[in-house]
Amino acid sequence: MDKPVKIRVENLTFSYHQTPVFENVNLAFEAHAITAITGPSGRGKSTFLTVLNRLWESQPFAEMQGKVWILLDGQWVDIYGKTLSKPDLRRKVGMVFQTPNPLPMSIWKNMAFPLKLTGISDKSLIEEKISAALRQAFLWDEVKDRLHDSAFGLSGGQQQRLCIARALVSQPEILLLDEPTSSLDAGAASVIEDLLVRLKERCTLIVVSHYLDQVSRIADTALKLQARGFLQT
Amino acid sequence: MNIRILGGCLRVFSWGAVLVLTGSVLVLLGYLLVKGVPSLGRDLIFGQVNVLDALLLKKRVFDGLFPAIAGTLSVVLLSVGLAIPVGVCAGIYMSEFATVLQQRVFGLMFDILAGIPSIVIGLFGFSGAIFIHRYISNDFRPCLAVSVAALAFLVLPYITRTTQASMQGLSIQTRQAALALGATRVQNIFYVLLPQSFSGILSGIILAIGRCAEDTAVIMLTGVVATAGIPGSLLGSYEALPFYIYYISSQYTDAEELMSGYGAAIILLGVCAVLFILAFLIKRRLAGPAGPAPGRFHG
Amino acid sequence: MTRVFQKTARIVFFLSAAASAMAAALVFGFLLVFGFPLIGGGEFFSLLTRPWSPGQGLYGFLPMITGTAAISFLSIVFALPLSLGTVCFMGGLGPARISRLVDGFVRFMTGIPTVIYGFLGIFLLVPVVRTLFTSAGSGMCILSASLMLSLLVSPTMIIFFKDGFDSVDVRYIQAADALGADSVQRLIYVILPEAWPGIVTGIIMGLGRAMGDTLIALMIAGNAVHVPGSILDSARTLTSHIALVSASDYDSLAFKSIFACGLTLYVLNAFAVIAVRRLGGKRGPV
Repeated sequence: MDKPVKIRVENLTFSYHQTPVFENVNLAFEAHAITAITGPSGRGKSTFLTVLNRLWESQPFAEMQGKVWILLDGQWVDIYGKTLSKPDLRRKVGMVFQTPNPLPMSIWKNMAFPLKLTGISDKSLIEEKISAALRQAFLWDEVKDRLHDSAFGLSGGQQQRLCIARALVSQPEILLLDEPTSSLDAGAASVIEDLLVRLKERCTLIVVSHYLDQVSRIADTALKLQARGFLQT
Repeated sequence: MNIRILGGCLRVFSWGAVLVLTGSVLVLLGYLLVKGVPSLGRDLIFGQVNVLDALLLKKRVFDGLFPAIAGTLSVVLLSVGLAIPVGVCAGIYMSEFATVLQQRVFGLMFDILAGIPSIVIGLFGFSGAIFIHRYISNDFRPCLAVSVAALAFLVLPYITRTTQASMQGLSIQTRQAALALGATRVQNIFYVLLPQSFSGILSGIILAIGRCAEDTAVIMLTGVVATAGIPGSLLGSYEALPFYIYYISSQYTDAEELMSGYGAAIILLGVCAVLFILAFLIKRRLAGPAGPAPGRFHG
Repeated sequence: MTRVFQKTARIVFFLSAAASAMAAALVFGFLLVFGFPLIGGGEFFSLLTRPWSPGQGLYGFLPMITGTAAISFLSIVFALPLSLGTVCFMGGLGPARISRLVDGFVRFMTGIPTVIYGFLGIFLLVPVVRTLFTSAGSGMCILSASLMLSLLVSPTMIIFFKDGFDSVDVRYIQAADALGADSVQRLIYVILPEAWPGIVTGIIMGLGRAMGDTLIALMIAGNAVHVPGSILDSARTLTSHIALVSASDYDSLAFKSIFACGLTLYVLNAFAVIAVRRLGGKRGPV
């Protein structure tokens, strides 16, 4: 079963305050699949996600060695190399956090934010991209009549889907999700699980989760994070 | 693209602001050092008098900064000494006992007190002296005691606020540990909470000392004079470094006197810098050597 | 420890807090009582607008009000761009290492005695102003004092601005970062719109610091008692006016007028404190 690979992690060592979080990790992630990362809390699952979009670099006292390659447009790109800027990388590798983090603006402005960052000003294009992303995130019907209301008026599950939709606006090839359902009730969580499975055709997903039942429902591959390394299960 | 240009401008602007701000302060301080360092020396402080004779108060120093330094030292120690017990007790009350209403009302009063311009505090001390002169003793006039009281008013809110803040910053676990072992509230304060917040309070006190040492406006209305010698009594006049700098800047008669003004400014700046660094180091030790423990990195 | 000790300790704590709080009221009371003959009978507000001319029995402090207003306003005009630029630098536009140095330096600046600024103003800044602007006379003028004051108020403003920046929810910053915002975009689109209460607080606190400072204006603004006509004019502030009190006759109206100046400063400060508390900014020793 030789499936196409999207991400390659080579000899990754990550330490925090000189204490290694993981050492010499080598991994490959399948394209258009959901890979789940499980394991006890405090072992650096979230940290691992931030290695893939370089978000950890804003953390003081953290250090990393090793290489991460991502297949973009048929070419292997070293994401810590000079060819790809950090903002560009983060548009290709979207991230959704444990608790929904809409910005303090309207739903519409939240959705338009990534486009604003790239300087797109064509109104009809913006509208088109936003509605497409909201539809992909199963949110369009619920918010189409109140796009200019504050994003904080949405329920937790809706906020999380808004954050997913917001990440989808930049058409990322990879989506990182850090325990995306842990702050939600079972109903809202199952909507998001369905959504993630559907998103496989568009992107490669890596989901941190500590719900084993959730992992078995949605994941194609599961990795267990153990002391300083990963175990394929 | 607009944002690109705006961003570029903002970057240039922020670099410019930093360079102008730090540059002008460095030029000022550099000028002070270049002009003033040659004046530093034994003579600047003790004049022609033998150091030991001056320190043992055997001979009076007329042409040196020794009396001003001694005056500043006494006024600072006395006023901070007066403000510490009251301020720390008030801070403890605010943190541990005050009701929400008290926190609000007292808090507002402390904020107002902290914001009163120091010249107005000086005026208050001055009017207090007039009050005593008029109704209690005809011999009373602005003196060391008045300055000490007024400066204590000036730094009281600092000490109260830092005590309150450091005690409120203690974790719930720390607060409950002794209580769970049967300590009373007051025991908890003296055995656990105060020792735990000690460095926070100490850094607040050091900053208060700095504030007292540099203040000129309060003391110029409450008893400081240009020549008084070593302060001999609480009811007498005294000299102080910051006032000497102010006085020399307008009253100097020759280059040598002006040089002693530069020397005094360097000494005062040095004292304030040392106090600042001390407070900074204590605060940093308080924050721990390197932030949160490794295990707390989220995820 | 006995029960009596518990009770006594608690009473001592309360009395200290109450006494400290009363101190603010006590200062106000003294100013009011001593300035009373001038302030009572609705005279206070007409004093604010009258000129100062002891010869004609006029003790209005309009010149000092305008002097204080001009000097403190102008110092904010100089300090605001410097402070905003510096805080943006520390907020991500500058390299992290240099930012930390700048942060330390700014905090150090809060400890520089104001009398030293005044002293250096006389011997370094005033001669420069005198040479550059021939109409500035001796060089002791509003411009000199404001320039020097702007160095005094900048650290205050920067520290409050930075508090405002730091109080922006980390999740917003993380969201912007994860969506690919660069440091300028993060600043303009996320931090600045959220940090405005801190910016307003900083401006108020800076203004308060500028109005309350005595030594710089006293030493390099010239202290002339007239309503200034330009920024190159000499001016006297409310604080300098108090510092220059020399009347030996404690019952004279000239002497009592300094208490009216003191009251004005006190009330302005109280308004500033209340405004800052309304903004929800925390205010404490800087």
